[in-house]
Amino acid sequence: MSAAVDTNASYLTATRGWKSWAYTLDHKRIGMMYLFGILGALLLGGAFALLVRAELWSPGHTIAGKDAYNKFFTLHGAVMVFLVIIPGLPAALGNMILPIQLGAPDVAFPKLNLTSFYLWVVGALLLLVAVFTGGLDTGWTFYTPYSLQTQTAVIPAVLGAFVLGFSSIFTGLNFLVTIHKFRPKAMGWFQMPLNLWALYSTALMQVLATPVLGITLLLLFVERFMHIGIFDPNLGGDPVLFQHFFWFYSHPAVYIMIVPAMGVISEITTTFSRKPIFGYRFIAYSSIALALFSFLVWGHHMFVSGQSKLANMVFSALTFSVGIPSAIKVFNWVSTLYKGDIRLQTPMLYALSFLIMFTIGGLTGIFLAILSIDVQLHDTYFVVAHFHYVMMGSTLIAFIGALHYWWPKVTGKMYPERVARVAAIGVFIGFNLTFLPQFVMGSRGMPRRYWDYDPEFQIFHQLSTVGAFLLGLSLFGVVCYLMWSLKYGTKAPQNPWGGTTLEWDAPTPPTVFNFPEPPEIHELYNYDDLEELPEGGWVRKPSTGAKSSSGH
Amino acid sequence: MSQPHDDHHDDHGHQSRFIQHHYDDAQHQFDSGKLGIWFFLVQEILFFSALFVAYILYRHHHPEIYAYAHHYLDVKWGAINTAVLIVSSLSAAWAVRCAQLAQRRGLIACLVITIVCALGFLGIKTIEYSHKIHEHILWGKYFDPCVASAGNHLLNKGNNCPGVKTSVVWDGKAGKAKSGCLEGNYDQNPAEPGIQGKCEVIEVVGANRRPIEACEEVPGKSGGHGKPAKFPCYELALNPHVCPAGPAAMVLYGDHGHHGGAIEVRCDAVPAPAAPADAFADPAHVPTTGERTFAQHKAKSKHELAHEFASGPPPEHTNMFFSIYFAMTGLHGIHVLVGVFVFIWLLWRAIRGDFTPDYFGPVDYAALYWHLVDLIWIFLFPLLYLIH
Ligand SMILES: [Cu+2]
Repeated sequence: MSAAVDTNASYLTATRGWKSWAYTLDHKRIGMMYLFGILGALLLGGAFALLVRAELWSPGHTIAGKDAYNKFFTLHGAVMVFLVIIPGLPAALGNMILPIQLGAPDVAFPKLNLTSFYLWVVGALLLLVAVFTGGLDTGWTFYTPYSLQTQTAVIPAVLGAFVLGFSSIFTGLNFLVTIHKFRPKAMGWFQMPLNLWALYSTALMQVLATPVLGITLLLLFVERFMHIGIFDPNLGGDPVLFQHFFWFYSHPAVYIMIVPAMGVISEITTTFSRKPIFGYRFIAYSSIALALFSFLVWGHHMFVSGQSKLANMVFSALTFSVGIPSAIKVFNWVSTLYKGDIRLQTPMLYALSFLIMFTIGGLTGIFLAILSIDVQLHDTYFVVAHFHYVMMGSTLIAFIGALHYWWPKVTGKMYPERVARVAAIGVFIGFNLTFLPQFVMGSRGMPRRYWDYDPEFQIFHQLSTVGAFLLGLSLFGVVCYLMWSLKYGTKAPQNPWGGTTLEWDAPTPPTVFNFPEPPEIHELYNYDDLEELPEGGWVRKPSTGAKSSSGH
Repeated sequence: MSQPHDDHHDDHGHQSRFIQHHYDDAQHQFDSGKLGIWFFLVQEILFFSALFVAYILYRHHHPEIYAYAHHYLDVKWGAINTAVLIVSSLSAAWAVRCAQLAQRRGLIACLVITIVCALGFLGIKTIEYSHKIHEHILWGKYFDPCVASAGNHLLNKGNNCPGVKTSVVWDGKAGKAKSGCLEGNYDQNPAEPGIQGKCEVIEVVGANRRPIEACEEVPGKSGGHGKPAKFPCYELALNPHVCPAGPAAMVLYGDHGHHGGAIEVRCDAVPAPAAPADAFADPAHVPTTGERTFAQHKAKSKHELAHEFASGPPPEHTNMFFSIYFAMTGLHGIHVLVGVFVFIWLLWRAIRGDFTPDYFGPVDYAALYWHLVDLIWIFLFPLLYLIH
């Protein structure tokens, strides 16, 4: 390697050529490659979603037959869950921001980080192989025994998800070690930005839950390949055991999706309210609480799978308890807004959307945790609407918001603010138009995953389809103007929003090792430290001294 | 990369060239790697945990298949492998010590011992596996054993045991063979096996077509021609693979256990109850196969019963034991194999002289991984081989 790399140059331009990206060990470049991959997968998953919605415009055959429809919703789910939402916040944005927020030069294991990225690529390619070799019609959950019988491409899809699981595990492991070992001495656990608490909790779940998915998918693979029989009732196996294993991972997976979203929402809310976050410790602890609770509630997916009554009651009660840390967070965010100097810039619009949609998604989750109600609502559109409010309305919205929040920092370019606000409003309206009617439909008995339906549901399906296309258009617009801004955007100031966390003290875009000199640790969320410049952006007031490096 | 003066390429002072620049110092790199490997091991434990859960669950639901099937496993080989792994764990730990103390030759020796032990483990596992493949003691769908877990021969449903040339399931009522095939055309469609008449006598026919052993399974008589039957006829009748339709007869040709390509023929005929002569008299009680079995079992000690149980055909879903056995030992074996490659890589680096008291993290981490692989086997051995 040449020794001529200027470590004080922007990470984007310090080295050139495709090889300098393909072999890069720079966490920001790896995050950037993830980001582009994930945005591509988002478009693919979104296209499948629109195919689903288009087919449901009218009862019976609209644009595709039953089998094609089964593949559309399966591939939509698999692509969105495994390729977009799970890696979106931690692997793409977390990768770029986590070391900078710590004031560290990189993650603990840069080579492992690059390995994670290539595992993601391999997993994505395997899922693409599944798409092009007969598709997949099991639903993203791969439930046995159907997944053992279907003629569609289960084997590449399962292998893809298995590989993606290890990508996720290694990312989590990397982040855990980075936060433990690269935190500056002056930054105690409770001087960490809340985003890091969230990423820490997420990483914990990634490392503790994903291996169970790994072995489950491996057994499913061996089952199809060699008829080992552990999940096959014909051979004496237990198909419900698959559901237990699957949800032991996939419930925490929901928290792997939502907890980092909560982290970025904490950051955005306080920054754009110009007010210290309310209840810092409560938010920090509730992230850890969610990580722990997430391992104890998987049975709520199986209330109608023949689980014992006692187990149902225990899982129901534990599921209620998840509402506590979630509610703590919501109340703290709302209290942060209270009497804040709220700036309605694009990231804040997404954060406010998140607050509304997460509240709806969370509360309808409580409905579903009630045993008697779940028996009614299980496998209806009510469930579909609920988890889309959480996974899309909360996680993906937070991802898009975080993308706008950190885009100027990692690319050095500003996006067109006015267009972005219009798109944010389009996303909000489109999303709610898509999924509010689904609550109504579901509560009236429209089953999920059905290709055909009674004419009485048509109006709801049509509203939902219109909303989905508005949502798709808005998100496509977001991707377009972000790409546009890479070339034509105005130069971003070092601290465009007046954030107080360390990434705003790094150059824009950051240098190869993030900071030319080790950064000073300032008091977190102290907005009196900063003053707004007339030409845009914020700087630290010269009078405010740095906290001494000994901490307190 | 050849950078001879790399030792002092930055302000960290004199230290190994393997200390990456984003770490503060050698200790920082070592500690980070150590925490990382610990998280990795936690991940590994969870990866195996699902299989342990499956083990517990199926054992809870079907204790009989575990009681039956563990006899199939050879405690001797399992115990040797346990010892081999413990030795390798010791040598791996010693390797860390050598690396720490800059004893390069000791390090190389310890790594070689570890690799040899790991390969020995895999070799023994291969012996065990190939024996099971030979006897069709496999997982799930392919579990079709040629022998009972106590070791005596069984008629397997696939008619594909090595050495057994022919088997026939004889339908006593219909008076003809129901399925199966005879020597010479055993790989063809068994439409015309060429056996006729009602089969009531079990004969063992030698290569020169001369009867050498026989047994009859009719009331009041057992054995035959003065020679004991090799195993009780009722066991065959109970074998659901052999006789799914209940009271039928069956014939097994084979040369198992006989020299000179002898052919063994077995038949277990259950005679139809005789019609009572006098409609008002109590019908004569003819014990069924099941009753005879039961009566024999009742008369026997617990130990004998256990032996007899193990001598009979496997209980339903014994295949699940082997699904779990192969899943667990297979996954463990893959981990051993990975360990072999890791230790070979370490050996190469040790010979090159990469490891110093300043930089021996990889040896330490690999040893930790190896201890976990060892530990998992320490759990697998009693759970699979030593249960009762
Ligand atoms: Cu759940």
